Amino acid sequence: MNNHLSEEELILHYYGETDRADEARLDGHLAECGECQSAKAQLQRVLALVETAAPVAAPPGFERDAWARLEPRLPSPRSERRWTRAIFWFPQWALAGGVAALVLMAFVAGRISGSDPAGTNPAAPGLAQAGGNSDVLHTAVSDHLDRTQIMLTELVNSGVNQADAFAGEQARAGDLVAANRLIRQSAAQSGDEGIADVLEDLERVLQEIANAPADVTSNELSDLKARITAQDLLFRVRVIASEMRNRTRNDREAGDRSPLRPSMS
Amino acid sequence: MDERDAAVVAKARDGDREAFRALVERHSRYVFSLAHRMTGNAQDAEDVVQEAWLKAHKQLSRFEARADFRTWLHRITVNCSIDLIRGRRHREDAHDPADLEQGPLSERGAETQPTPERMAASTQISDRVNQALGLLTALERAAFTLRHVEGMSIDEVGEKLGMKTSATKHSIFRAVKKMRQALEPFVPSREHAGSQLMGRESK
Repeated sequence: MNNHLSEEELILHYYGETDRADEARLDGHLAECGECQSAKAQLQRVLALVETAAPVAAPPGFERDAWARLEPRLPSPRSERRWTRAIFWFPQWALAGGVAALVLMAFVAGRISGSDPAGTNPAAPGLAQAGGNSDVLHTAVSDHLDRTQIMLTELVNSGVNQADAFAGEQARAGDLVAANRLIRQSAAQSGDEGIADVLEDLERVLQEIANAPADVTSNELSDLKARITAQDLLFRVRVIASEMRNRTRNDREAGDRSPLRPSMS
Repeated sequence: MDERDAAVVAKARDGDREAFRALVERHSRYVFSLAHRMTGNAQDAEDVVQEAWLKAHKQLSRFEARADFRTWLHRITVNCSIDLIRGRRHREDAHDPADLEQGPLSERGAETQPTPERMAASTQISDRVNQALGLLTALERAAFTLRHVEGMSIDEVGEKLGMKTSATKHSIFRAVKKMRQALEPFVPSREHAGSQLMGRESK
């Protein structure tokens, strides 16, 4: 058979990287040409050897030498403590702590005063019963959800090669994880399954973004975006955020009709 | 994540220096092997190990407990290796493919040509593979390793190494050809497929 495949074509075919325009021709030829089938099989056998090879081992004692060389280059524990203290005094972390405390209070209050038995507020029955602090609480939770929405929207709409933009989203995702976790746990404890489910999916994605290497590959970024889209995550977060805003409005309209603290009786 | 790692990583994240030391001592051999596969020499691999741990230490607060620590470290190591290779790119002198026959493999002489007994020895195959990798230029090696071992697409390899797709493809082609020439004696030839492959024209 004439027009045998070139070595380059065989290599691309082996890696599944044949140009789409050439796929039919190459597949068709390979299906019929024994010589090219043998050549490709030989290439596969050769390259398989690479995978079976043991990696080059580090010399004996390498790990101890590595630490001895590394330790002087690490920031001193004292400066690390100062840095940690500075982070925790930073207002945004104080806000995250405040949000968590408020949310916990609200869900506990919701449980004590009873959730919505008729299920008329499926999105957030516990929060609906939060009592007099609920205005502040709903505002704080809404703020968290709004910030999350903005971050996800920017990520989904970013180009696959925008490494700098991704690094920024990563930092924001890292900030959002802790607050999200506390809200989710509180929601789960108070039986707010609808919210807890959405927040669990959201937390998984936030963690994935926060943990990804700063120079994530374009394929990984595309996969991440696809998962966000496939789960309708933005839409589901938007629904909860909208619900929270409605409740904030309702709380304000109810005004001083609500007690400042939930009844413990 | 390995349960031992999970506990130690949690301590290290809280600033426990001894816990971080334990991670370094537990994983440095793995990091070295990976870096050596990417860079091709021990000195560069040692430098990559250092940079990878510095980066890991800096980013540890962003590491989430549910993730796998070694997978996370693997990615950091690959990226540090790429940074090193890209930084040295301008100093690289490309090897002429014709030099292949004058490289370390052929210097070993006829008495070291593979026999069935030697072929059965996996250590020799490993040595041979590592020697063959040593014949590649730094860029060929990085491109080949990222495509063949790390499983990145050619576009991604090009993006990582700052090369156009066509140049990336040619680096991989050259690397595969060199690997094939070096390793073919270890593969039982069927129907002279190897010679058929060698005679194929480039398009």
